[in-house]
Amino acid sequence: MHIPDGFLSPEIAAFMWIISMGFLIWSWKKAKSVYNQSLASSLAVSSAFVFVAQMLNFPIVYGTSGHLVGGTFLAMILGPYAAILSMTIVLLMQALFFADGGIFALGANIFNMAVIGGLSFFLVKLLSGNVEKGRRFYISVFTASWISVVLGALACSLEIGFSPIFSEVGGIAVTVPAMLFWHVLIGLGEAAITTTFITQLYRLRPTALNGLTFMRKGMLCED
Amino acid sequence: MRGLIKTLVLILVGFAFLAPFASTDPDGLEKVAETLKIEEPENIWNGLMPDYTLPTVRSPYLSTVLAGFFGVFMVLGASFALGKVVAKSGK
Repeated sequence: MHIPDGFLSPEIAAFMWIISMGFLIWSWKKAKSVYNQSLASSLAVSSAFVFVAQMLNFPIVYGTSGHLVGGTFLAMILGPYAAILSMTIVLLMQALFFADGGIFALGANIFNMAVIGGLSFFLVKLLSGNVEKGRRFYISVFTASWISVVLGALACSLEIGFSPIFSEVGGIAVTVPAMLFWHVLIGLGEAAITTTFITQLYRLRPTALNGLTFMRKGMLCED
Repeated sequence: MRGLIKTLVLILVGFAFLAPFASTDPDGLEKVAETLKIEEPENIWNGLMPDYTLPTVRSPYLSTVLAGFFGVFMVLGASFALGKVVAKSGK
């Protein structure tokens, strides 16, 4: 889902940068007030995990592949704010060192994957009714991670669809259904992997799931 | 700290093991562009290791794994630093 440079019109790329910067400043400010020193190691390891997972594409159908984005996974480990920051670092490194996702398109990519992924925390919270265990919780994680990929793809299809290169070949009328078709399927992979990892972590290392403490204590409602 | 290193080793080993099985098919967005016959434009910036390969390493497997390891440490370092800064300015 990483948009390369050249797909987006300068206006859309700039607009997405502004939106994403807004979210980054917001998560930075929120993060400052909620996290303590233990954040650094869990942030480092979970970002590294997501970076690696994004390199491991799994095949879906008709010669297309997908990979874990990891937004909901990060949100469960780190909570929404650090999840947004963590994914932004992954995307930044991918763009800088590996030309995976463009530099000008980075604002859009941050929105599609980091912001939507991190905010999926609130979807899990809503769907699970604030109960961070049991079947309902796992179903919520599954659903939220699927939705986060589909929504990210929808945002991506709008961004490219309104840009000249793609509007010449049909614009959003073509890009939206095409992107959704693939990502409804890719999202199932995302959901399966995310749910598996969260379930296993819950069983083996429940302390790793820091994001859940946010749900439990309702720390998000503090201010 | 020990837990951190253990998890990191697990991530690196898991990656080295799974890398050969990763699909090289186009991803969702690449497929859509391909179907619409849109050429991916020439990159403005190619990065140090375009497409996660080290240009100087012959073996494709080794090339990808080394690029991946490099990326892991960059991401790890940047995230750790960010985590320290965020937490320090708070409590």
